[in-house]
Amino acid sequence: MKSLSTILQHTGRNLLLTWKPQLMTFFAVMLSVLIFSFFYLTHANALHVGAEMGNDLRLVVYLDENPPPALQEEYRSKILKFDRVERVVFVSSQEAYARFAKQLANDSEVLSGVPEDFLPPSIEVYPLRSLDSLARIKRFSDYLETLPGALKVQYGKEWIDHFHSFIQLMRIVIVLSGALLIITTTFMVAYTIRLNLFSRRKELELLRLVGATTNYIRMPFLLEGALIGFCGSTAGIVALYLLFRWIKLQFTGPALFSVVPFTFLSWPVTTCIMLAATMLCALGSFHSTRPILHL
Amino acid sequence: MHQDLPPPPIIELIKVSKFYPPDVEALSDISFTVAKGEMLYLTGISGAGKTTLIQLISRMEKESKGVLDVAGFDLGKLNHRSIHLLRRKIGVAYQDFKLLPNRNVADNIAISMEVVHQKKSNIAERVRTLLEQLNLSKKYATLAGELSRGEQQRVAIARAVAHHPEILLADEPTGNLDAENTARVMSLFYQLNRQGCTLLIATHDKSLYRVGNRRIMELRGGRLLSAGPPLTTSNTAAPVVETLT
Repeated sequence: MKSLSTILQHTGRNLLLTWKPQLMTFFAVMLSVLIFSFFYLTHANALHVGAEMGNDLRLVVYLDENPPPALQEEYRSKILKFDRVERVVFVSSQEAYARFAKQLANDSEVLSGVPEDFLPPSIEVYPLRSLDSLARIKRFSDYLETLPGALKVQYGKEWIDHFHSFIQLMRIVIVLSGALLIITTTFMVAYTIRLNLFSRRKELELLRLVGATTNYIRMPFLLEGALIGFCGSTAGIVALYLLFRWIKLQFTGPALFSVVPFTFLSWPVTTCIMLAATMLCALGSFHSTRPILHL
Repeated sequence: MHQDLPPPPIIELIKVSKFYPPDVEALSDISFTVAKGEMLYLTGISGAGKTTLIQLISRMEKESKGVLDVAGFDLGKLNHRSIHLLRRKIGVAYQDFKLLPNRNVADNIAISMEVVHQKKSNIAERVRTLLEQLNLSKKYATLAGELSRGEQQRVAIARAVAHHPEILLADEPTGNLDAENTARVMSLFYQLNRQGCTLLIATHDKSLYRVGNRRIMELRGGRLLSAGPPLTTSNTAAPVVETLT
């Protein structure tokens, strides 16, 4: 308890004495967190959009003839063997005719004289609403084409391909901005603390000479790094939230956000980002204090 | 027949040498023993190796050759993680003071007690006592950088003794002091010695070591000219404060 108060006292004194470089580090951390979390927010919302738009996504396997119940079960088990799906619906020629007539509504008389089995029977496969399912849809389609009696498989190929490319791009951006966050944060904090250490070298040497332990010297610096990481990342998340609110306000009127959801990062995600930034800053401090402790 | 056992050695050097690159031999084959509770002087002209010897004993420098045993620690085997254990047993009054100029006198003295997590009240009391003993009471809150050389020297001494070290190494402790303050410092040293502290005082001030019958070791060109056996506490009494004032 006594040593904790001494460490806190030293940390406070360090921060007061070197507030200018600390402020620079704070802004660097804030910006890094803002950049990273902005891309993450975009990615997360893009996934929501994908999930929403994937509501109507289905693969339709057209068959050469109506399958009897035993064959339907066989189809179902083959489909489930390949991937988990939300549901599988068998549509007979007659059901397809009825649907078509319903769609035509008042114009359904054009169907007069057309046999009720003129449309092919089909299997409608509704994949799970997840990005992974969307990514696998091409392979799924190829697989469904190999089912016995399958004539053709239809799905929104073009849309899926574009969406998949967009998500891939977002993933790359997130990985790059994450790497940028790690590099910037660690180096900025490490060098600020190294400058701080250099300016206080005599004091630290003296502490070592009068019998201070490694932890006694190191802990205030680690705490200092962690504190800057925590404050900087909190400020970054707050800035992102303000940006999020602003974007939402700007686009309240148009239909965009009423059609697709636009939500902020969940609290576990924000906590993880803040924890990661705090840890990285503490790591930067740890790295910087190593040389001074070998006196 | 009952015979007084000599006190155990607290500092022991066996054939210790120190070289600096490329070929400077600062100390050569130094061997001596200091008994626990002894007070002795290390003399020699400037450049004789007094400061280097103090730096070796306090492990500021590492010996190039030989064996050093200080306060139960074999310094050749002492690693960085354990070095604080040795330094907490030693107080060093450095020739260049090593004060923190932007911190006040009280803070400078307190630092050696803070690192061992002493109570704040104890630290404050000890600081006040030492400042009084060294005639620095009025300088309590003065920044160390604003003190005269003599005052800085006394603050450095106060810091070295503040945590009640087992061994005190003083490098030219009275170099910047007038007679009155020299007497105050020596009085403090004798007091510490009476309390059981071992003192090794490096000085070329003959007035300090000519009086009394303390052991004197002389260094010349990095070699120890005379060391002699450690003196027991019983024959090292006789404070010389009066003689100095």
